[in-house]
Amino acid sequence: MFDLRLISAEVLKLRRRRGMLILAALLTLGVALLMFAVAGIQHAGDPARYRPAGGAIAFGDTAYVLTMMAMVMGVIVGGTAGTQDIESGVFRDLAATGRSRLALFSARMTGAWAVVLPILAASMAATAVLSLVLADSAPTPDLGMIASRTAGVLVAGALSTAMAVGLSALAGSRGAVIGVLLAFFLVVQLLLIDVGVLGAARQGIPAVAIDRIADAQARGGVHVALGTAIIAVIAWGVAALGLGAWKTKTREI
Amino acid sequence: MTLSPPYDSGSVAIETRGLGKAFGRRRALDSVDLLVPSGVAFGFLGPNGAGKTTLIRLLLGLAEPTRGTIRVLGHDLPAARAAALGRVGAIIEEPRFHAHLTGRENLRVHAAARGPDAHGRIGASLARVGLAAHADARVKTYSLGMRQRLGVARCLLTDPELLILDEPLNGLDPAGIQEMRRLIRELVAEGRTVLLSSHLLDEVEKTCDVAAIVDAGKVVAQGTIHQLLNGGARTVEIVCHGPADVARLLAAVPGVTRAASHEGAIHVTLGEDAPVDRQIVTALLRRLLEHGVEIERIAPAATSLEERFLTMTTRLEDQG
Repeated sequence: MFDLRLISAEVLKLRRRRGMLILAALLTLGVALLMFAVAGIQHAGDPARYRPAGGAIAFGDTAYVLTMMAMVMGVIVGGTAGTQDIESGVFRDLAATGRSRLALFSARMTGAWAVVLPILAASMAATAVLSLVLADSAPTPDLGMIASRTAGVLVAGALSTAMAVGLSALAGSRGAVIGVLLAFFLVVQLLLIDVGVLGAARQGIPAVAIDRIADAQARGGVHVALGTAIIAVIAWGVAALGLGAWKTKTREI
Repeated sequence: MTLSPPYDSGSVAIETRGLGKAFGRRRALDSVDLLVPSGVAFGFLGPNGAGKTTLIRLLLGLAEPTRGTIRVLGHDLPAARAAALGRVGAIIEEPRFHAHLTGRENLRVHAAARGPDAHGRIGASLARVGLAAHADARVKTYSLGMRQRLGVARCLLTDPELLILDEPLNGLDPAGIQEMRRLIRELVAEGRTVLLSSHLLDEVEKTCDVAAIVDAGKVVAQGTIHQLLNGGARTVEIVCHGPADVARLLAAVPGVTRAASHEGAIHVTLGEDAPVDRQIVTALLRRLLEHGVEIERIAPAATSLEERFLTMTTRLEDQG
């Protein structure tokens, strides 16, 4: 099912979209660097009023922003990976080789992850280093904090990428799916957290589950067990990927 | 009409029996029996909307037939799809590529879906279709002709036993058409089978050994080009000038089944019971002279595939 040559071909297709990759880097690494730069300038100008640019608090804040940016990036890259063969018309030629359509779909998924996750990992590595280097007198993040927040960012990127790949393959259209998923990740799910009537169902909201995995402060006071959070993330991903795989397998082209 | 026996069908590349495909209530294909022998250029002719692309999609496992069976290179579809299509190269309608990748990169993407040897054939395939010098240019800069050739290069990555080319001459200039024709004949000379779907009858006549004519979802005739050209009724072409309704005069001659104006001449179609040429021509001349018609020329009409095609497809019936 996981064919390294197919995955390598998917990565090639994504890597050659320079505009998309530059945007992805700006949204993640660029945003992280910008946050440290602004904080550094502020601290240098008025050390009494502004805390040091680094340290545990800066690390946590930057990781929080990167978690949201990871979702944005995952949606853009995943949406592109999920539809680029279909929209270009190449999928028909690939399917006509006799290769399993599920193998082609799996390669899209892993190829998109192979692009998204290294950029996020690099962003978090830079964030950790800058948090330590620029900590000055502030407490520094410990290894546990670095690991858990990095896990949260990577899970956010992996989940949004998976959902975008699956749903864009289902819809066959990149633009609509990217729009809907960005609205869901950036607005809808955050609103849902505050809808108390949903009760324990809010534990299944991706942002809540990801915060738990990142060991960050629970949003809206919704507490969830780590196991439940992991199951929720997997369920969202499997559902979206399942729909995409089903459509890829049955689509008449 | 199916010419029987169509040809020596010792080794068969494609065989369909009772193949049908419906989209809702519309039948795109209706019980197609097709036999494509190995090692030939096979023309699949039909007007737009006749069902050519639908058949190709079924042959490539891109859609499920509503009924009937398909065998490709000895393997049943869809049960043995991977084995059947492993040595098949195909261009379906206009060849499509990732426009932001180069020609070589597009072939790398396709080779990844093929066997492990495909990657090693990229350079040779590009050279064979004359694209080696443009291999590292992005496909969005390619002309349609270059895309067609890149499509053929993509087919060659699998060292195919069978190539299925859907309208490969579309958009090519005369030099490109000649080049594509030469390439197809070379591929056939190497022992490969080429199924070429086209509405360009003249090109099929020049390029193919065997052809089938499809109309309204049915194969109405198949056989060698020679069989198809000679399988129809005899026709006599007459150029003449006279006051009378010449076509009606000629249609009344015994042995004549149809007489109609065609590009400044009268085409007289003879029935199976018509006498030999010299007798029927004499009878036609006599009828014209009796009615004061001046005759400029009279000769047996050489039947082209286009004329055979038109007599078999609904388009002519609609006009008639």
